Amino acid sequence: MSDGEPACLIEMQSISKAFGPSRVLRDVSLRLRPGSVHALMGENGAGKSTLMKILAGVHRCDEGRILKNGKPLHLPSPREALAAGISTVFQELSLLPNLTIAENMFLGRELLMRGGSLDRKRMRAETAAALAELDLKLDPDQLVSTLSIAERQFVEIAHGIKADASVLILDEPTAALNAADVEVLNRSIRRLRAEGRAIVYISHRMDEIFSICDEVTVLKDGQFVGTRAIADVTPDGLIAMMVGRELADLFPARSANLGKPVLELSGFRATPKASAFDLTLHQGEILGLAGLEGQGQQRIMRALIGRHAPAGGTLRLHGQALKFPSAAGGIRAMARRGLGFVPEDRKEEGLMLGLSVAANLVIGLHAEKPAFAPARSLKGVVQRMTDALRIKTASSATPVASLSGGSQQKVLLGRYLAREVKVLVIEEPTRGVDIGAKSEIYTLLRDFAQAGGAVLITSRETVELIGLCDRLAVVHGDTVVVELPAAEATEHSILAAALTAEGVAA
Amino acid sequence: MTHPILRRLAAVPPAYWVFALLLLTLWIARPNMLNPNVLGIFVRQVVPLGILVLGQLLVMRVRSIDLSGGGVILLINYIITSRTFPEASGLTFIAMALAIGGTVGLLNGYMIAKRRVSAVIVTLAVSIILVGLVQFLSSGKPPGDVPKYMNEIFDIKYGPLPLPVLFWLGCTGLVWLVMQHSVYGRYVEAVGESAEAASFSGVPVERTVVMAHVLAGLIAAVAALVQTGSIAVGSVRVGLDLPILAVAATILGGVVFGRGEGGVWGPFFGVLSFALLFVVMTVFGIDEAGKLIAQGLIILMAAILYGARAKRG
Repeated sequence: MSDGEPACLIEMQSISKAFGPSRVLRDVSLRLRPGSVHALMGENGAGKSTLMKILAGVHRCDEGRILKNGKPLHLPSPREALAAGISTVFQELSLLPNLTIAENMFLGRELLMRGGSLDRKRMRAETAAALAELDLKLDPDQLVSTLSIAERQFVEIAHGIKADASVLILDEPTAALNAADVEVLNRSIRRLRAEGRAIVYISHRMDEIFSICDEVTVLKDGQFVGTRAIADVTPDGLIAMMVGRELADLFPARSANLGKPVLELSGFRATPKASAFDLTLHQGEILGLAGLEGQGQQRIMRALIGRHAPAGGTLRLHGQALKFPSAAGGIRAMARRGLGFVPEDRKEEGLMLGLSVAANLVIGLHAEKPAFAPARSLKGVVQRMTDALRIKTASSATPVASLSGGSQQKVLLGRYLAREVKVLVIEEPTRGVDIGAKSEIYTLLRDFAQAGGAVLITSRETVELIGLCDRLAVVHGDTVVVELPAAEATEHSILAAALTAEGVAA
Repeated sequence: MTHPILRRLAAVPPAYWVFALLLLTLWIARPNMLNPNVLGIFVRQVVPLGILVLGQLLVMRVRSIDLSGGGVILLINYIITSRTFPEASGLTFIAMALAIGGTVGLLNGYMIAKRRVSAVIVTLAVSIILVGLVQFLSSGKPPGDVPKYMNEIFDIKYGPLPLPVLFWLGCTGLVWLVMQHSVYGRYVEAVGESAEAASFSGVPVERTVVMAHVLAGLIAAVAALVQTGSIAVGSVRVGLDLPILAVAATILGGVVFGRGEGGVWGPFFGVLSFALLFVVMTVFGIDEAGKLIAQGLIILMAAILYGARAKRG
C-alpha cells in the first residue's frame, strides 16, 4: 500500500470501533510520517480521541490494523503502546496535586537504588532535564498543587515526552495555555519534529494548526473525510471539511433590530484588581464575550449571575437598578429576577446525571416554590419542553446520563426555558455536542432572542461566537477592552483587539 | 448482569433479600414462631431504631451522616427519668425532647452545610459531648424510673399490632409522603445527585442540608421518647449503639450517600431484618455476646456493600 510513497512510521488501516450499539469509528485510516506534525481535526464527537486511544492502547479496535514501519503492531494495553514508542498527553489533567513534580513524573515507575529505596536524586535530575527541554524553570521538588494550570499542562507534556518515544500524541495540549505559552510549546514541538519523531496534534485552534502542522486529517461522525497537506488547504476549506457543509448554513440569520436595554452593567469589576467596564445587553440580542481563553470571561459571567459577589459596579435589569446579591444565595436571587445560567461543565455543574430527564427539566421550577409545598408533577411542562427542543429520549423517566451530548445540552437549556427566564447566560452553549444538535441549539437561542429574550454567551470556539452573536465584547484581563459587531469580526481581529489591549495596559 | 430481569433483581435493596432469607429460616426451623403476637413483640423492640433510621436516610440522601442520635436519645432519656423536672407533664417532656433534638440538628446542619466540617466528626463529637453531659449530670449513678404512663402507652395493642409499631408505620409513611410529594423531596433528590448542579438550578443547597439535619434531630427526639417508653428504668447507656445500627439498616435498605434507590421502605425492611435476626438468634439459643458479634458483622457487611455500590455508581 505504502510502496512508492515516503515511508510511514505508523499506519492505521481501516480502523472501526463500536461502543455497544454506537459506532464511533468506521473504516478510518491514518498515516504518520517521521519528522512531521499531523493535525487530527473534527467536531467534538467525531472520533478523534477514540482513534488516538486506540493508538495509545487504551481501547482496542474491532476491525483494522496498525502497522509500525510496515510491521503489524499489537496493542492490548497502554504498556505495549509505550513499549512500541507511542506516548500520549491526554487532555484530562492527570497529575496528582499533592505530590511533587518529580514524584508525578516517575509515578508507578519510580527509580530504585540497590537495596530498594527510592533514588530521589536521579529522579530529580531526570525531571529537571525533562523540564529544561521545554524551557521550564521549575523546581522538581515543587508540589503540583502550587503550579498554575499552564505549568501543570507543561509538566504533563514533559511527562508524556518519553526520551525514546518515536510517536507523540498531543490531545488538545493548548487548551489551558495563553499565546506566549503556546509559542514555547510550539518551539518544543518543532524540535521534536526535527529529531524525526511523528507528532499527532489535536486542537480546535485554527491558527495553531496552520502555524505548526504539516498535514491534516479530518474526521466527521467517525468517518474519514480526507488527509491534506496544510499548504493545500485554507481555514474555511478545513471547516467545510469538518462540518460537511458551508459554515453560513449552520447559523441562523442575525437579529435585524434590537429592542430596549435588558441588562445594563456600569462600572462593573469582576475582581478587585480589574478595571471597570460598562456593558449593555438588549432585548433580542445575542452578545458574546470573546477573547483569549481564561481572560476572565467566566469570572464576569459568574459574578453577574450571583455565583461570586463582584468587586464593584451597578446592575440595571429592565431599567430597574438592583443591588448585586451576596455570594450565598446569589444564584437563587438572580434566578428569581429572570436570569438563567447554563454552566460550562454540563456533567459536573449542569445536570444531575443519575436523575431522569423530567427531574432535570423541572428542578428549576420546583426551586421557585417553598420547600414544603406539594411538588406538582409538571408532566405538561416536560412534554412541552421535550417536543419544543426535540430532545431525543426513550421516555421522560430515562436517566439523563444515557442521552447523547446534544440532547443533554438541550435538557439543560430546557430547564431555564421552562422557567421562562428573560435573560439566558450561557457558558459554552455547544460543548461536546454533535453538529446537528449544534445547529438546532443555535436556532433555539436565536428564536429565544427573537421572542424578546436576551442571551449572553462565552465560547472557546471563536467561529461559534462570530457566527451566532450579534455583537462581541472582547475580554482581556477581567475587563471588556473593546466591543465590535460580530458580522465584521474575524478570529484575527478578535485576537488583535485582545493583544493590543494588553500592550496598552502594560 | 446484562439480562434485564437480572438487572432488576440486582437493583432490589439487599434488605428485602435479608428479610426474606430470615423469614424463610424461621419458617423452616420454628414455624410456630411466625405467630403475629410473638413477632409483634419483637418488632416493637426495634421501633426506636426504625424511627431513628428515618432521619438517617434523610441526611444520607444529601450526602451527610448523623451519628449524634445516641447522645440525643441518652440526654432525653436522662431528663425524663432523673426527675430533674418532677412537675413536668408528658406534653412538656415532648416539647423538651423536640427542642433538644431540633437544637442539636440545627447545630449539626450549621457546622456541616455552612462551615463545611466533616459530618462524621461533627455529629460524633456532638454525641460524645452529650454523653459526657449526661455523665456529669448523673455523676455516673443510674437515674430513676420511667413515668408509668409512658410504659402504658408503649404497651397498648390493637389485636396483635402494638401501638409503637403502628406509630412507626405512620412516621415512615409521613416521611415517604414528604420525600415523594413535596418540593423539599425534590431538593433532597437534586442535592444528593449533585450539589453543584442543584445550586446552579436555583435549589437552596445549604438550606436543604441544614433542614435535613434539623429533621433528623427532631426524628431522633421522637425515637428517644419511644425508646424511653420501652424501658422501665432510666440508664446512662441507653441507645448508644442505635446510630451505627441506623446507618447499617439504611445502607441495607439501598440508600447510599446521595442515592435514594431504596426510598423509605428499603431501610424500613432493613430495620425489620434486625428484628427478625434477634428472633432467629433467640430461637437458636444464641446469647447476648453472640448477638453483639452478629450485629457487628451486619454493620461490616453493610459497609462492604456500601463500598461496592459506591464504586459501581
